[in-house]
Amino acid sequence: MARRGAPVDVVGVGRTFALAGDEVTALSGFDMHVPAGGFIALIGPSGCGKSTALRLVAGLDTPDEGTIDMDGSSPDEMRRGQRIGVAFQDPSLLPWRTVTTNIRLALELVGRRHDTKAVDELVELVGLQGFEKARPSQLSGGMRQRVAIARSLVTKPDLLLLDEPFGALDALTRQQLNDELQRIWTARGTTTILVTHSIPEAVYVADEVLVMSPRPGSVVARHTIGFERPRTRELLLTDRFHAEVEAVSASLHRSEGQVVQLDTDPS
Amino acid sequence: MSATAETAATAPARPAGGSRLDRVPPRVLSSAVGIAVLLLWELLARTVYAGSYRLSPPTAVVVEFFEFRGLYLRNLWHSTKTAAWGFLWGNLAAMALAVASTLVPWLRRSIGAVVLTVFCLPFIAIAPILRLITGPGNATPIALSALAVVFTTYVAALLGFDLAPGSALDVVRSYGRGRLTAFRSVRVRASVPALFAGLQIAAPAAFLGAVVGEFTGAHRGLGILTVRALGALQTDRIWVIAVMATIVATGGYLAIGALGRYLCPWSPALDVGAVPVPHAEPGLLNRLAGLLAPIAVVFVFWYAFLWVFGIEPFFAKTPVDVWAELFSVSEAPETRSIIFGALGTTLWTTSLGYVVGLVGALASALVFILVPWLERALMPIAVALRSIPIIVTTPVIILFVGRGLLTTTAIVAVMSFFPTLVNCYTAMTRTPEGILDVLRSYDATSTANVRNAYLPTSVPALLASARIAVPTSLLGATVAEWLATGDGIGAVMVTAFTRNDFKILWVSVAVLTIVAVIGYWLVAAFELRTLERMAPGISR
Ligand SMILES: Nc1ncnc2c1ncn2[C@@H]1O[C@H](COP(=O)(O)OP(=O)(O)OP(=O)(O)O)[C@@H](O)[C@H]1O
Ligand SMILES: [Mg+2]
Repeated sequence: MARRGAPVDVVGVGRTFALAGDEVTALSGFDMHVPAGGFIALIGPSGCGKSTALRLVAGLDTPDEGTIDMDGSSPDEMRRGQRIGVAFQDPSLLPWRTVTTNIRLALELVGRRHDTKAVDELVELVGLQGFEKARPSQLSGGMRQRVAIARSLVTKPDLLLLDEPFGALDALTRQQLNDELQRIWTARGTTTILVTHSIPEAVYVADEVLVMSPRPGSVVARHTIGFERPRTRELLLTDRFHAEVEAVSASLHRSEGQVVQLDTDPS
Repeated sequence: MSATAETAATAPARPAGGSRLDRVPPRVLSSAVGIAVLLLWELLARTVYAGSYRLSPPTAVVVEFFEFRGLYLRNLWHSTKTAAWGFLWGNLAAMALAVASTLVPWLRRSIGAVVLTVFCLPFIAIAPILRLITGPGNATPIALSALAVVFTTYVAALLGFDLAPGSALDVVRSYGRGRLTAFRSVRVRASVPALFAGLQIAAPAAFLGAVVGEFTGAHRGLGILTVRALGALQTDRIWVIAVMATIVATGGYLAIGALGRYLCPWSPALDVGAVPVPHAEPGLLNRLAGLLAPIAVVFVFWYAFLWVFGIEPFFAKTPVDVWAELFSVSEAPETRSIIFGALGTTLWTTSLGYVVGLVGALASALVFILVPWLERALMPIAVALRSIPIIVTTPVIILFVGRGLLTTTAIVAVMSFFPTLVNCYTAMTRTPEGILDVLRSYDATSTANVRNAYLPTSVPALLASARIAVPTSLLGATVAEWLATGDGIGAVMVTAFTRNDFKILWVSVAVLTIVAVIGYWLVAAFELRTLERMAPGISR
């Protein structure tokens, strides 16, 4: 398997925001190690700093303390080298562009605007054939998210950062996209960090699931997921899959210091 | 692009190695710029322009004010009182019309047409006509001041009433209550922020109306003082008046803004300048009716105006009279050549200024977005200048630029520049952070940011400003021509005015109004089409 991706080393990172005269510490002592070509899932309660962590790794924000290193490069250098692909919670498409041209935007920005084949492939991969000429306002929320995912993949980045990209999708499409993501990841060896609220999803796609504490966020548990690849849907029905989901779930609830109903629905 | 611009544009959240100027507090920066401008102005006036009447040094302006403070304060008080009455009446009328438009939806189009027509009137030329009715007193400036605020307040109030949340209206309806209850319990409250945004713009507009009303003859007030000073080339005096007018108009603008924020602190600032244009109804018949009904209503108002005030036939001209003057009486060809020849000059100089103003505003907004310290230094000044009625400062520009065709162009450019700049810049700052993050994550260049984010997001604001600027530009042009340049239709009108030639005056007013309305609608149509093309479905 080709390992083109960059390893990511995050050590002791902290980030504090000023908020209306007050201070909000989003992250404190956050550590994360992603091997080259690794697939990490970040999971944690709402507001614990997952998006903040992803923005720091993307070089869109700088930490107040700690270091982030990617094979000798800083996030900012990675960003300037145009080696990162991002898809955030909010699809952030350009309303005046079509599906095709929104995906092409990433190619234009890295100076490869003529790679129409890559665009066509991704439109198909995210299942938007027939909507190539549609504008974001004419798409459903889930379709917009799929465009954003396609855009993040089209430049073949070395580091892929996905922030709850499947939030607005139905269970079936979500599963399909997880399968596709796994396939692309296997073929390209892109280092991938996925933020998700779905424990089964995290367990299904990732090598390792990191569980975060409530704010100030830090990693409180690591679960190495040893299932062989390619993983298929049959895995979802096995006892060892459920056992893994239960284990992550338990750490998550322990991290929150409270007992809530388990969300083990494999969606 | 400089290194500063690059960093600032790509990472405004935390400029890593930005310019040192980025860390200077904005107030310090803009005060420094203000002081620098004053010093430069003093220096220029004392050296390059010394001995000429073009520019007064700030110190001379202050000295002049204190020397004749009795005269100035008396006239300022007079004009302010006039503007206050106009503000009151105009806003009452506008709100009544907005209420009628909301409660009786089929009236909306016709009322809208009348209000737009009022907005498009060449105020300077209707002053003599109004004076026929009101006599030589203060009523004409008050009436003009009232007319000057009707459009913005009407649009703002209507926008406010329409902003009422649909769900709240549904609740009222589900209790079986009608429109009136919905209006009282939901719409009135929901409209407050938008209404204040409108009233805020109305304050300087009322002042403008009052002063323009005084330009054409009044016993007292800043307007007539200006005209006399302009005739005598009293530069210091003209500067004092412009500065006082600016301070009072801006003060009104700020005071109403503060009151609005005090009364409804939760509401975000609303920009009435960016009010959407109404959609055309589908179907040819509907469209035709939509076009003809408002025209008919305007004619009805025209006749009603003449009839109610019982103006003598010598002075009063009906639409039929105006048509005859232009197309059927024996002197018609001569009238046509005078009017349309002058109109050609006016349109040419005006369009030039209009385009320069809009393009310059868009370019400046982009520079401000890319160079934050420049924005922080200059934007407060632009915002202040945007609120002042530029027309009131026309005499200052006339003295500085001279009395040629360029004066009109310069005034129109300045008038369209400031509102467009502020509207476009504000729109650019509202570019969704997510989109900027995506661009940043690929280390997009400033050019790419401009092309993919800032320029497209400012298009709606640019087009809305361009639409509003059509009538205001024509107003500015005619005032400049009337007061100074001796060219264009403004000069034709002032000649007609001095000769008591009411035929030419009415024809000019009618022609100018029609031109302004058509210009407004052309831009509006272009605006609708562009927005619909850019982002179908979400434009309205
Ligand atoms: N730019 C900012 N300014 C101020 N506070 C911020 C900023 N960005 C994030 N925060 C704060 O940091 C904390 C973590 O936010 P973050 O968006 O990283 O959470 P999250 O884990 O992604 O939550 P969710 O699962 O709901 O998306 C929150 O309390 C948020 O209010
Ligand atoms: Mg988040």
